[in-house]
Amino acid sequence: MPGMADVTGDSFSASLIRGAFLAQTRWKAMKSRTARRYMELHALSASLELFKPGAVVPWVSYLFPTELLASYGITPMIPEIGAATLTGTDLRGPVESAADRMPLARDVCSYHRIALAAVENDMLPAPTMCLGTTPLCLGKECLLEMLALRYDAPFREIRVPLPPDEVEASSEVVADVAEQMRVLHEDIGRWTGRKPDLKKAIGLSNRASAAWGRVMAERLAGRLEMNGRRTFATVFLGQLLWGTEEGARDFERLLTERGRSDLLAPALDEGRRLKRLLWLHTVPHHDSEIFEMMERRGAVVIFEEMGQMHLETVDPDDPFPGLARRLTDNVLWGSSTRRARLNVALAKRLKVDGAVHFNHWGCRHGLGSLPVVRSAFVEAGIPFLAIDGDALGRGGAQQEKSRQAMESFLELL
Amino acid sequence: MPYCYYTCNLLPLGLIARAGYTPRWLGSRLVDANAPARREALSIHPMTCPYVTKLVAAADALFAGSAGGEAEERRSGPPSEASCDRGGAAGAAGAAGAAGAAEAAGAAEAAASSTQTRDLTGALRGDLGGSSDDCLVVPGGCDAARRMGDLLAATYPELVFVLSMPRSAGPEAVKTLAADLRRLEDRLLTRGAMTPAHDPKPGLAPGTAPSVDYPAVPRPGGVFVVAGPLTDDSLLRLIGRLGAHVSGLESCTSPDRWRPLATLDYAAPPAPGQTADAAVAAGAAGRDHGDLAAKMLETGMCPRRSTTQRRAHLGRRLDESRPASIIYARQSFCDPGAYDALLMAQLARERGLPFLEIEVDFPFEANGPLLTRVEAFLEAQLLDDDLLDRLDDRLDDGLDDGLDDDLGDTALS
Repeated sequence: MPGMADVTGDSFSASLIRGAFLAQTRWKAMKSRTARRYMELHALSASLELFKPGAVVPWVSYLFPTELLASYGITPMIPEIGAATLTGTDLRGPVESAADRMPLARDVCSYHRIALAAVENDMLPAPTMCLGTTPLCLGKECLLEMLALRYDAPFREIRVPLPPDEVEASSEVVADVAEQMRVLHEDIGRWTGRKPDLKKAIGLSNRASAAWGRVMAERLAGRLEMNGRRTFATVFLGQLLWGTEEGARDFERLLTERGRSDLLAPALDEGRRLKRLLWLHTVPHHDSEIFEMMERRGAVVIFEEMGQMHLETVDPDDPFPGLARRLTDNVLWGSSTRRARLNVALAKRLKVDGAVHFNHWGCRHGLGSLPVVRSAFVEAGIPFLAIDGDALGRGGAQQEKSRQAMESFLELL
Repeated sequence: MPYCYYTCNLLPLGLIARAGYTPRWLGSRLVDANAPARREALSIHPMTCPYVTKLVAAADALFAGSAGGEAEERRSGPPSEASCDRGGAAGAAGAAGAAGAAEAAGAAEAAASSTQTRDLTGALRGDLGGSSDDCLVVPGGCDAARRMGDLLAATYPELVFVLSMPRSAGPEAVKTLAADLRRLEDRLLTRGAMTPAHDPKPGLAPGTAPSVDYPAVPRPGGVFVVAGPLTDDSLLRLIGRLGAHVSGLESCTSPDRWRPLATLDYAAPPAPGQTADAAVAAGAAGRDHGDLAAKMLETGMCPRRSTTQRRAHLGRRLDESRPASIIYARQSFCDPGAYDALLMAQLARERGLPFLEIEVDFPFEANGPLLTRVEAFLEAQLLDDDLLDRLDDRLDDGLDDGLDDDLGDTALS
């Protein structure tokens, strides 16, 4: 059985194994015909291209406007997605061992720690450019710029001021961010020697946004209930595909019953009403036990905070302000008070029975806002639980403790 | 004058003093860790750096009015040096600001008399009219510091000002910081502070800034110490006690950093005797916050800053200090510190210098295991030096003998 190491090599045999592996993934997608499976296929297929010799490999932050890369036909390498993917394969053991040997402190975000260990041990391709954004955290900017220095690659950061708590970012701020994007888009062309087609990339991104926006509107209106964990996993991978033909088609698949059939929340069980929960922050990617336990206990995550992105289309003739607005007013950016306000409003709109905050290992951004978010939920009378864990973890004492906390929480609900 | 506490010395103290406040580092007001916690004390996630954890506790104790010492201090004037916290930074003349100890004592007495008749909690929480009201400025450089500001601002909305700090020092970053500084100054003025004082060097008054200094003049061939915030020089003294000397200290509280920052001020201050209202009415006229912001960013080259610039800064400092080894004292759960330690380790490798990374608490405490590690590290070097000295002596002897032989040969010929 070929493993991840076999499909990422640059030998002839590796390319054969890669072809066979992708054919198998394609077969699965064709059989299911769901957006989720196709998204997996296309994200994997595009990412494997990054391992080929001479590939342009832009390491970018999670919220980076990837349309700027799609304009040049370039696939992004997002450290969080790379780390989550690797730790779900047979490379988990080697990459974890490599991370343990690394001199980087163990209390750093595990997404970034694993990504660094992976690139330094040839499990992820080395960057040819590193492109950051101030949102969401400082840690990944430190990682990206350090990688740029080590691999002698250019580094750019889109500087995004914090938005006000109560209103949208000002038009001056949006214009400043838009200008930074415009310059960066030109820089990418200069570095790669490729010709851009931003209008096409934006058109494709808009198709995906329109579809995703409709799905989210249906979910917010309560007419569509989707499994928040699986939906997040799908959107998480989808970050690699904004602005591509595949991305547009995959997000549009979500508009059909068949296309979203494996993302739907469990149906009501013998007249019992399921407890509906809002999930805040990232999810444990490889530890499904807690979610299975929730379903056994009659609860389900019906909405995820991090899925709220790319909900509006942007002007293809003047795309930079629209792309900038997605960063300046991202729901996860800004002060803790802003995050708390938006999430409480979301919970009220969805009429959830409770909210769960996942305290991802080493995430100062998420953990730091927890006290304010918690007190806002308590004040609003919405049951709230914060559980500690590692988004890349699998089992262990911490997971067990979180599972028990979740069990008690569900009993209280 | 009321106190304007601050959490990080990346702040122009002159601006604060001109607005009618005595600047005071919150790090000198730490709460006794062994004291029983208040039931309603703010709680933050344990995976937060000790600096932020302790400062949140200190601010909460001050503003919630449960800091008995603070209330007591207001009743009896500023504390004596002997009664200061472990750092000794909260000196008697903490209120000095402009006019020396006598005026400072007078100002503190005036503040005390106005506070005596009121409940401190009420005064600090709500009534903002009095000049005796203290406030807090939180420069949000890293995620943890920013979230600390969020939490304190959410809890004490009228008393806390969060100042965003950029990573880069580009023109737009300077512009944004300048605007934020102007907002900070306006807010301090409109809070009903007293007539702006006009002390050219308010930051140098004891108690206003971190007071760490070199116990002995740094000289080449010793240990270069990199650390986060320190309350005192105990880490440097520890190195001295272990038989080594210090070649330099790179820390946000090192004298090389806080001295230039403490004397920062804008070029054109308001006219002498100008009232708060008049100063506010004057608006931005004559106040060059842009220049101030640029100087702040130039001086405050801390780990959260651009990796490229930080690397150049550290390289320069090493070249100037010419140390024989490097000790990196990193606080646990500090992201910028974690990546900075990697950077420093690389610089050490490039220069062939022994490197030790230790994890420290705030305030610094030389506990058993840490002491053993530092001791072993320094002993190994002293041993190396000793061996090298002896080897040098032997080589010199050998060379001299050879030279004598050569000369002898020459003479014979």
